[in-house]
Amino acid sequence: MKRRPITRVRNQALLLAALAIFTFVNLVPLIWAALTSIKNPADAFTVPPTIIFHPTFEYHRQVWVDRGFVHYLINSLIVSAGTVLISVPIGSLAAYGLSRMPQRRASPILFGLFTVRMFPHMLLAIPFFVMGSFLNMIDTYPLLVLALVAINQPFTIWLMYSFFLDIPRELDEAAAIDGCNLWQTFRIVILPLARPGLTVAALFSLLLSYNEFLFALVLTGIKTKTLPVAIASFGGEDVSDWSISAAGAIGIMLPIVVIMLFVQRHLVRGLTIGAVKG
Amino acid sequence: MRWQRGLWLFLVPSFGLMSLVLLWPLGYAAYLSLFDIYLGSREIHFVGLANYVQLLGEPRLWHSLWTTLVIAFGSVAVEFLLGFVLAFALYSATFSVRVFMILLFLPHIITPVVATLFLKWILTSNWGLIDATLLTFNVSPPDWLGDPIWAKICVVLADSWIFTPFVMLVLYAALQTVDLAQIEAARIDGANGWRIIRHIIIPSLVPVIIFTVSVRLMDVFRFFDTIYVLTGGGPGTATETVTIYTYQLGFQLLQVGKASALGLITLIIVAAIIATFSRVLQRGYGRG
Repeated sequence: MKRRPITRVRNQALLLAALAIFTFVNLVPLIWAALTSIKNPADAFTVPPTIIFHPTFEYHRQVWVDRGFVHYLINSLIVSAGTVLISVPIGSLAAYGLSRMPQRRASPILFGLFTVRMFPHMLLAIPFFVMGSFLNMIDTYPLLVLALVAINQPFTIWLMYSFFLDIPRELDEAAAIDGCNLWQTFRIVILPLARPGLTVAALFSLLLSYNEFLFALVLTGIKTKTLPVAIASFGGEDVSDWSISAAGAIGIMLPIVVIMLFVQRHLVRGLTIGAVKG
Repeated sequence: MRWQRGLWLFLVPSFGLMSLVLLWPLGYAAYLSLFDIYLGSREIHFVGLANYVQLLGEPRLWHSLWTTLVIAFGSVAVEFLLGFVLAFALYSATFSVRVFMILLFLPHIITPVVATLFLKWILTSNWGLIDATLLTFNVSPPDWLGDPIWAKICVVLADSWIFTPFVMLVLYAALQTVDLAQIEAARIDGANGWRIIRHIIIPSLVPVIIFTVSVRLMDVFRFFDTIYVLTGGGPGTATETVTIYTYQLGFQLLQVGKASALGLITLIIVAAIIATFSRVLQRGYGRG
């Protein structure tokens, strides 16, 4: 039954209008925070809410400079970079190994990794903290990085596994015939072909460690506090600090939006495997 | 084949690290759970399974389990309803799909703590956007985060705000795989839109739906950020999930042994969920 083109066009227009309205309403919290961050506190909490005001970027400056968020940003970058630099290489190695094994041997291992990903993090946070205190490693970077690498592994392996599977095994065989050993095959032949996968895995791991909250809350202190921990302990309580914490929150969000524009084509692959929210 | 020998060596760094950083602490938690031990104190008493017995006899634990289930099912229901409608809308739209996808996806991809703060600033009494708007029209609003029932609803909505995009995307991806020829055939046979959705599209999505539901159920036992920031488990213990209770035990009351026991109880529950859904999960994950 072919519908008449006029109805189709009208239906599409209605659909897009509905989508646009929903999307806008859905983003109101975000828009409101963005507006709050460029308001003076006098405009930020009023009845009725102020829509028209004189914008100021003073609070963005204050939160990063005066309130020390630059320091937390550096902590976040160190932790995230450390996590990515360890997680992606060892994850890729394991993923390559698994992708070249017989399916029947790889499947149980892959499912085992899935169960590891489902570990309640709180269960790990306690022994981490106790062991960290014994080893005197609380409030140091390596402890948090190790924890993040470990919880990140199942995802990285899964993602890279799906990319390695796309590379035909005939290439490995050809390389072997040409005299490459396993390591050379991986390093010279396969890895360069998996470069897009590596980028995606790195970006998703970056997001995961940048967003992580529980381990960062438990394992960091004044020196190594990351951005989510800083904004959580800062935000929301004192109404007079609203503009500043809104500025902090928006600032924390911006790099993620940029990364998202890079990974958007791979969102489906990354998310069905479970990126972003650990 | 010869070139496959030694392949297992590639797994060593990753799995070595995981057993060091995941399994060792897990074993240590199991060990701790058998002791009466306070963080920072030197006194340790072996108590066997007393921590478990004590926990299972506690109304607070059962209350937190109940809260976890209510929040889990509440948010999963909202997420699927909204997620399906959105996925279907995107599936039916002929253009600007990608723009909407990115915009709709924002709440999921931003830092959960930040996303929750955004919501908190909307919900805060008096000065939040909702209250300020309602007060303008002289409607006196309920105390969203201070009332036990509203607080639960807010937590469910917050979780839904963050996770509906995820469900939407998974369903959208699954919709792409629905057999178009089947839909066309049904249309020729005179089926209307609703019957096509009901009898062709939904049945072919069932594996994905079960997969996503079980993952989301387990997530509720893992996640912590949203409730911690939004209500901290309050008012009272109205929104205290098992995870929040474990945190309170371990890091506020410093009863590390008891907290470890509760952690292990959580693990057993999650393991039971995995075992129940294992066939579907295995297939769901097999898609890569």
